[in-house]
Amino acid sequence: MSAHEADPLDHPEVRHASPLAYVSGYLLSVIFMAIALLLTLRHTMHYLNFIIAVSILAGLALLAQALLMFRLDLSKSQQWKTFSLILVLPLFVLSIGLTGWMFHTLYPRTMMHFMQVQGADM
Amino acid sequence: MSRTETLTPAHRLWARHHPEPDPIAMKTLGFWLYMLSDALIFAGLFAAYAVLDHKFNAAGGPQIKNVVHPLEAFVQTVVVFTSVLAYSLAMVGLKARNRMFVLAGLLSAFVLGGVFLGLEINDFATLVAHGITPERSGLMSIFFVLIATHGLHMAFGMLWMAVMMAQVALKGFTTEVVTRLLNLRLFWVFQASIWVCMFVFVYLNGAF
Repeated sequence: MSAHEADPLDHPEVRHASPLAYVSGYLLSVIFMAIALLLTLRHTMHYLNFIIAVSILAGLALLAQALLMFRLDLSKSQQWKTFSLILVLPLFVLSIGLTGWMFHTLYPRTMMHFMQVQGADM
Repeated sequence: MSRTETLTPAHRLWARHHPEPDPIAMKTLGFWLYMLSDALIFAGLFAAYAVLDHKFNAAGGPQIKNVVHPLEAFVQTVVVFTSVLAYSLAMVGLKARNRMFVLAGLLSAFVLGGVFLGLEINDFATLVAHGITPERSGLMSIFFVLIATHGLHMAFGMLWMAVMMAQVALKGFTTEVVTRLLNLRLFWVFQASIWVCMFVFVYLNGAF
């Protein structure tokens, strides 16, 4: 919006509201989560395959929300939101992934004695 | 004459009397950057959950599979997604300059947000009634904190929504009101995105 345009309802971020995009984003998010729920309840997959499958479904639901609900794209009004999200995503994934990985390897190396005392298995 | 004064406007990096930047876009981008930092708070909590989701950290008490109910969590998922849809459709009403449409959308999103929080509080109350409290173990602490942090965001979003309903009704679509409505939409959709991670990595992964 130019500084000279006085009507806030003419702003690009107001004008890009789209019922079709919002309903599509909603339906896709629900469908992806419903599939993930079914995979959980059926319990027929190995854990590794399960976690990969539901992670992909979560990623697809988040992508649908980013594109259709947040309406992120490379247009002039949205490009900086898109770039900043892309730059933050590695921080989000790495901070969780690296922490989990560190402790995943730490537990067996430091708690073996404790596990034997407790009679627990890995 | 300085070199800056001889440059054409298109080549200048800045100018003393440059037109003001777009106030709406500047505020929505600023709010977006705040939300990305908020996402990193959730990243920290998810990292702590990933570490503490281990039988040792249950301290002989309940593990995650004992406290999560995927079907009930799916109902919450649909409710929060529908609330976000209602708010988004209110923005379609904003585009159409229809104040009643906007108010109806906000009210629907508010009510559905209340339903979501009601289900969550009921879930917590049931756990507490069974002696499953945050102080039971490290695992239960992070479980309650993670879910409650999202719930707290939802509660503040609803408070903000109530304020916006009053502002839309009393002030109409001023630049300030429209900017706040756009920011609140970003905040509300963000809650659905965080919930996707919670539903999949806490409720479904925990129940598997």
